[in-house]
Amino acid sequence: MITRLPAQGSWITRLGQPALLACGFAILIAISGVAIWLVNQARKDASAVAHTLEVENTVAAIQIYVRRAESAQRGFLLTRNAGYLDLFDASAASLGPALDKLRGLVADNAAQVATVDSLTPLVRRKMGEMERTVSLGRQSQWDAALQVVATDVGEELMRSITQIAEKMKSEEDRLLKQRTASASISAQWLLIVSILGVVAIITLAGISVHLSQRNSRALRQAHAALSVINEDLEKRVEERTADLQEANQEIQTFAYIVSHDLRSPLVNIMGFTRELEELRTDLFHRLETLRLRAGDTDGSQDEALAADFQEAFGFIKASIVKMDRLIKAILDLSRQGRAELQPVPVDMRALMDSITATVAHQLIEREGRIEVGPLPTIVSDRMALEQIFTNLIDNAVKYLRTDVPGRIQISAAETAAYVMFSVADNGRGIDTRDKSRVFELFRRSGPQDRPGDGIGLAHVRTLVRRLGGSVMLDSELGKGTTFKVTLPKTLKLAHQEDE
Amino acid sequence: MVNHVTIIMVEDDEGHARLIEKNIRRAGVLNDIVAFRDGTTALEHLFGPDGSGAVNAGRALLVLLDLNLPDMTGVDILKRIKENEHLRRSPVVVLTTTDDKMEIQRCYDLGANVYVTKPVNYENFANAIRQLGLFFSVIQVPEAK
Repeated sequence: MITRLPAQGSWITRLGQPALLACGFAILIAISGVAIWLVNQARKDASAVAHTLEVENTVAAIQIYVRRAESAQRGFLLTRNAGYLDLFDASAASLGPALDKLRGLVADNAAQVATVDSLTPLVRRKMGEMERTVSLGRQSQWDAALQVVATDVGEELMRSITQIAEKMKSEEDRLLKQRTASASISAQWLLIVSILGVVAIITLAGISVHLSQRNSRALRQAHAALSVINEDLEKRVEERTADLQEANQEIQTFAYIVSHDLRSPLVNIMGFTRELEELRTDLFHRLETLRLRAGDTDGSQDEALAADFQEAFGFIKASIVKMDRLIKAILDLSRQGRAELQPVPVDMRALMDSITATVAHQLIEREGRIEVGPLPTIVSDRMALEQIFTNLIDNAVKYLRTDVPGRIQISAAETAAYVMFSVADNGRGIDTRDKSRVFELFRRSGPQDRPGDGIGLAHVRTLVRRLGGSVMLDSELGKGTTFKVTLPKTLKLAHQEDE
Repeated sequence: MVNHVTIIMVEDDEGHARLIEKNIRRAGVLNDIVAFRDGTTALEHLFGPDGSGAVNAGRALLVLLDLNLPDMTGVDILKRIKENEHLRRSPVVVLTTTDDKMEIQRCYDLGANVYVTKPVNYENFANAIRQLGLFFSVIQVPEAK
């Protein structure tokens, strides 16, 4: 039962977040740009409005100067008081710069420049007319002065000046309206763009929140699915382990029962073979008696028969003994598979030393030596370890070559949880095709010139597996063999706790 | 030889039974041998129809017991004999093909008097049986109460 993980989101979800972020940034940049532009525009509009107002002010100032000069002239002529002349002079002096200023202010507007150009001579003529009357008054020619005033030329000029000034003002008013409208449009745009930006950002934020919620929901679902799968997996591993242990148990029980039950008929075979031998003795005894009674003294035929009997019995008995040994081996193997393991700290170096001591005699005979490297202490079953390495070292010694001095090296390599022990010899080696076969019960490799039933390595494999490890071999025919036994540093008896 | 001792042999394998009997006789033991092929009939004989064992009260019995029986394990029979007040003094000789140390220990713990592993080596087996015969002749089997 496999629960499929939900698809890891659509492309929208996958690309959504960065795309949204980019979008948000783009909108912010656009809004900022537009806002800066619009603010700049508003500032320009404001300065244009100020400019317009200044132009109007200047025009008004020119009118005032002219009017003030005129009223000062009239006052002087009417009262003949020279005190009015100060005001007249001051107003006349101010007019020139005021006109220049106006000209400068409207320099960007050709129409207004033309208007200013038409205004200037009128103002000059008006001022010229007034100055003439004033100078006549100073020479006390009052009548001549009044005559000049009475010509109404001054009044005519004044009207024209006022007319032109009004024209300029209305032109500037028109510009002011235009600029104010433009400024208000700019401000409106600024508002609209800002509102749009805010709306866009809020929308994006909403989408982002939605997407991230969807993401985290998908993540939670995936997480839940994963933990379901994990649990399932753990359960299945447990089930498989239990199955394997059960199967292993069954095999062990099977081996035990088979070997046990095989011994039973063997007892009969051996027993009755022995009975037959007894019978044979009786039979030959009787045969001899009968033969002698019949007068036949030649016992050579009987002896030949007896020899045949002997040969047959010899084979039967030898086979029975061998079969008994093999059955016993199976029995032992199954017993080792069932024996209770007791994990204790085992100093591997000391263990190897005690094993090598037991083969010292054989080593001297074969001019060999064993080098034991530094070995760690592991927590495992001492008895099983002893049997494993006794078998391996015995084998190494047994199959040393006779033409070179034997050399056996025992070493260890540690990883986090395991230790790999190597038993390397320079003996006769194992043919590649026998590599896995040698671990099978009753199987042997190479010339069968050494004693043995092919049991040792089968035991080694059974025991190593029981200790939660594995055994491998590297070998080159005629060069030597290295057995590598990998064992956990600490033996765990999980399956026994279950029982 | 204490002649009134009856040997109860519980052995399912006919061949083994025959070999045991032959060798006991060869060793000069002439006591009656009552053979049973399974646990049920043996128990019936030992404990009687009421299962109390009173039927054999006062009789001298020696039990030769195989552990691997078709209907039960000999250990159960051993246990019942040693728990019964009328039979618990009868010597029990366990005969089996198992040389498992744990099983041997268990039988002795339950009160087995002798544990004999059926050897394929016939000479050893015959010796064991003969010694058993001598054992029969020497020990004073106490009468069951």
